[in-house]
Amino acid sequence: MAGTGKAHLRDGDAVLRVEDLVMEFPVGRTGLKVNAVSGISLDVLRGETLGLVGESGCGKSTTGRSVMQLPRPTSGSVVFEGQELTALQGGAMREARTRMQMIFQDPISSLNPRRKVRDIVMEPLNIWKRGSSAERAKVVDAVLEDVGIDPQRAAESQPHQFSGGQCQRISIARSLVLDPTLIICDEPVSALDVSVQAQVINLLEELKARYGLTLVFIAHDLAVVKNVSDRVAVMYLGKICEVASSDDLYARPSHPYTKVLIDSIPVPDPMAELHHSDIVGEPPSPVLPPPGCRFNTRCPNADDLCRTDEPQLRDLGGGHFVACHHPLETPVSLTGTVSSN
Amino acid sequence: MRYVSQRLLQFFVVFIVVTFIVMVATRIGSADPVRDLAGGAVSDQQIARVLNDYPYLDQSLFLQYPQWLLDFVTGNLGYSYTQSQSGLAMFQQRLPPTLFMGFWAIVIGLAIAVPVGVYSAYKRDGAFDRGASYTSFAFISMPPLVIAVALLFLVVTRTSLFPTVGGSSYIAPWDSPWGHFRNFFIPSLALGLGLAAVWSRFLRADMNLTLQSDFIMLAKAKGVSPARVLWRHALRSSVLSLITSVALQVSALIGGAVVVEQFFGPRGIGDRLVFAIQQNDILIIQAITAVLVVGVVLANLIVDLLYAVVDPRIRHARKLG
Amino acid sequence: MSGLQTDARQSTGPLLEITDLKTHFATERGLVRAVDGVTFTLERGKALGVVGESGSGKTVLSRTIMGLLTARGVELSGSVRFAGQEILGLKAKEMRHIWGREMAMIFQDPMSSLNPLMKIGRQIVEPLQIHLDMPSDDAKATAVRLMKDVRIPEAERRLEQYPHELSGGMRQRIMIAIALACGPTMLFADEPTTALDVTVQAQILDLIGEQRRDRNMSVILVTHDLGVVAGHTDEIAVMYGGRLVEKAPTKTLFANMKMPYTKSLLRSIPKLDEPSHTRLATIPGRPPDLVNPPKGCRFAPRCAYARDRCHEEEPVLEVAEHPEHVYRCFYPVGSAEFEERDEQVKAELAREAAAVRAAADQAAADSAHGDVPLAAQLMHGKDI
Ligand SMILES: Nc1ncnc2c1ncn2[C@@H]1O[C@H](COP(=O)(O)OP(=O)(O)OP(=O)(O)O)[C@@H](O)[C@H]1O
Ligand SMILES: Nc1ncnc2c1ncn2[C@@H]1O[C@H](COP(=O)(O)OP(=O)(O)OP(=O)(O)O)[C@@H](O)[C@H]1O
Ligand code: SF4
Ligand code: SF4
Ligand SMILES: [Mg+2]
Ligand SMILES: [Mg+2]
Repeated sequence: MAGTGKAHLRDGDAVLRVEDLVMEFPVGRTGLKVNAVSGISLDVLRGETLGLVGESGCGKSTTGRSVMQLPRPTSGSVVFEGQELTALQGGAMREARTRMQMIFQDPISSLNPRRKVRDIVMEPLNIWKRGSSAERAKVVDAVLEDVGIDPQRAAESQPHQFSGGQCQRISIARSLVLDPTLIICDEPVSALDVSVQAQVINLLEELKARYGLTLVFIAHDLAVVKNVSDRVAVMYLGKICEVASSDDLYARPSHPYTKVLIDSIPVPDPMAELHHSDIVGEPPSPVLPPPGCRFNTRCPNADDLCRTDEPQLRDLGGGHFVACHHPLETPVSLTGTVSSN
Repeated sequence: MRYVSQRLLQFFVVFIVVTFIVMVATRIGSADPVRDLAGGAVSDQQIARVLNDYPYLDQSLFLQYPQWLLDFVTGNLGYSYTQSQSGLAMFQQRLPPTLFMGFWAIVIGLAIAVPVGVYSAYKRDGAFDRGASYTSFAFISMPPLVIAVALLFLVVTRTSLFPTVGGSSYIAPWDSPWGHFRNFFIPSLALGLGLAAVWSRFLRADMNLTLQSDFIMLAKAKGVSPARVLWRHALRSSVLSLITSVALQVSALIGGAVVVEQFFGPRGIGDRLVFAIQQNDILIIQAITAVLVVGVVLANLIVDLLYAVVDPRIRHARKLG
Repeated sequence: MSGLQTDARQSTGPLLEITDLKTHFATERGLVRAVDGVTFTLERGKALGVVGESGSGKTVLSRTIMGLLTARGVELSGSVRFAGQEILGLKAKEMRHIWGREMAMIFQDPMSSLNPLMKIGRQIVEPLQIHLDMPSDDAKATAVRLMKDVRIPEAERRLEQYPHELSGGMRQRIMIAIALACGPTMLFADEPTTALDVTVQAQILDLIGEQRRDRNMSVILVTHDLGVVAGHTDEIAVMYGGRLVEKAPTKTLFANMKMPYTKSLLRSIPKLDEPSHTRLATIPGRPPDLVNPPKGCRFAPRCAYARDRCHEEEPVLEVAEHPEHVYRCFYPVGSAEFEERDEQVKAELAREAAAVRAAADQAAADSAHGDVPLAAQLMHGKDI
């Protein structure tokens, strides 16, 4: 199996457990395919926030969407609250989707422009015929209050009358009314100004605590991901490079790519030393990913082994896992060996 | 190239659907097609002759169609018993005037629309733009007949250069360039003005969008002269939508040609079509509409190919199939 | 105009002097005061970062200085002196000799800023032929050299390619090559890396910095990212609601911020060196409506430090301890009034953070399975 391994999966109360997820898209009729996600495994424990980071096109959104089975993955297993989603059909699938929700990057275009905001938030309850109409109204108003939108104004206004940050709050409210277990947030703050971004991040943290949510948080901004996540998975070209608790990952990046990513973040401090990164170029096309380690075309430490053998995720101890033949440092004692599935 | 084969398939589907509908319509419009073909109240002998030439005419429509199609593709374009002329001969005689008129109408239309559209977009909301806007709305709302009448009184009757109503006849440019011009200018202008009005609006709208795009701002910021920005950078990317609107107008052009040919001449296909309809000359109606469908679909096909010539991104996407 | 060209390279004094610059747009809603009285100077060879939230007027400011905003309904006033010569209000015909030759611009979106229908080579060669009258062969050779300067591999082959055949980072490099073609003295880079990945962003910012030093070129770097300007500029100008609210040499600014706005903006950014789940400071509300800006300080409706005076009277630009540090505030960072409020602000933030933790505990306690108080654990950090 050429996946990146499953050594990092845990035994705890996983709300979501993804194994060997593969998602491929055909390229026109050329017979070629985009290897958007190539055999990744993940788990998210109850109440945890899993951060997914990586550069554009590495397959973050595809991972998020294929968890929702939108569209169904090419292969692999997705177990959500003990249920294998890839086997679910029709009504059962629709029901499962109410327990996991998604929030998208572009807050304005993900809301129906013609409808009143309160109706947009109410809609999932109507579709699922939850409670009496009085009860629905109560839930919607409470949730709107929780996300900081005046229910009165929401009843009178359409999405375009709200700012980007407010629209994102509205999307969040809409995702909450069905009382989901899991919310997949796909770059929820990337389109927002930093001041508004902070508001939305704080809100997500509050709601997560209050509603007991489990989150998958997708973003390309590492500082944001670090702030909201308990555990972070770094992706590159459809594979997972490194998984660790968020503080540990940033303190001791072990995969060369993670290190480069962290060093590239511009720090708002002129006295901070500027890292002139030694990696060059851009990620190769996911249509023809390089053999061996997918990072080998840009990695300063790549050698022949990297160009032929795919590294498997291995345990560095303390919940820190890396898929690299030559990890940068070994944070704790190197307990695991190359895992074999 | 899968792309081309796909388009050709579409082409055939459209052709078959439209020609079949036309056939059904002609049969419905006539109580006794064979008698009508033979010229109305005529001898049984004449009718027998028609049936002898086209034995399928009294079969069911679904049996008629394949036989008609076979005739059409093998070059038997029907026969007009009232005119004693074969469809093929009729096309040889009548197609050139219509083609020339259509060609000159498009040339005139573009010659007016491109500079007007570009300049309107460049000086957006200026006096010229507003003037052009009113004028073109006037022309768009005027049927070709009204334009023809206006030209008659404003130009034809005031000069002695051009033949008057119904007077234009077909003279090939290689026989007499001046004669060709005299006979074709006014009818082509009557058609071309309407086209120019539509196209200049289209082009202006598209150029307005193009002129706001970042790459135009960048061209300007490079110090490229306004003329070069307009003609090399902006027009080129608006050409796609201009080509589209030219193709869209081909069918309108045919409608206009019918009217103008009858009004000024030269008598071409459009004129012949109207006459055939009046006479219930169903084989000729079928032949002409079939040729027109081929013409329109061909025009669209050419446009599609031109897209790829103009835009490398389309070329690239099509290569992927 | 040829006089100007020599001026820009040889004249002494600041390269750019902006005085009370205003750009207003007449719209159906009313007059949009996108840039409203901005004054600053920029020395040659220096890099100025312009930062601010979306809609604060950064793009309009840079385009106005460059003279690219001349459409109908645009009202310009004030003064823009470039190498000692007034250029505001010059006609496009007169500006053409400055554009590309003296001043060049890199746009935000490398996808939409190159002409999709023109080969890369032609787009680079164009300014060379226009301004330097280079014969075609020389221009091509220069284009290849420029592409090598911006580290585009296989430059010769790329001349014949179209923009869609290149990646985002490569296109941005092409944009830089075009901008540098005629050796401008002044480069405007409007969010040059916002559309790019962080690893590529680092490469592009390094490249711009390196070219600036090599060519002794001035750069105005427009961005919303305080991190980007911190490492790549000499000076920073902060914009808010069309106004310049603070300007200082980069190090001075970060060491001794005066504007509560700048401070709040910096505090709202998640930092890598803070532990995860650190509660972020926020700025409530959103930037002002530029048609009806608030009376008094434009930041007052959102400012945690505002007092009555702020809502009545607009502060003017004050000079701080450092003579090149100016700001627009009655109660700047460090003043007694600010510090007094800041205590409250920090206490409030701590209270909110505690409330979130308490809510997490509550949720955990409420949940039937008492065995997984994970949310609560995580909110408390790892110490439970
Ligand atoms: N429906 C699709 N058809 C074809 N290719 C697709 C499709 N969806 C995604 N891809 C490709 O799959 C790869 C991964 O895309 P994905 O959107 O998951 O990346 P991402 O990590 O979310 O990137 P970004 O940060 O840009 O959102 C990309 O190369 C993308 O072009
Ligand atoms: N042509 C125009 N007509 C009317 N208003 C305009 C025009 N161009 C810009 N504006 C307005 O001017 C204000 C400033 O816009 P500008 O693009 O300079 O903001 P910015 O600081 O660059 O923001 P961003 O970070 O989003 O790019 C905005 O409110 C914008 O809506
Ligand atoms: S496996 Fe090799 S190429 Fe891949 S990241 Fe590690 S050192 Fe680099
Ligand atoms: S003047 Fe008042 S409102 Fe404005 S920034 Fe200073 S303290 Fe805040
Ligand atoms: Mg994505
Ligand atoms: Mg901008």
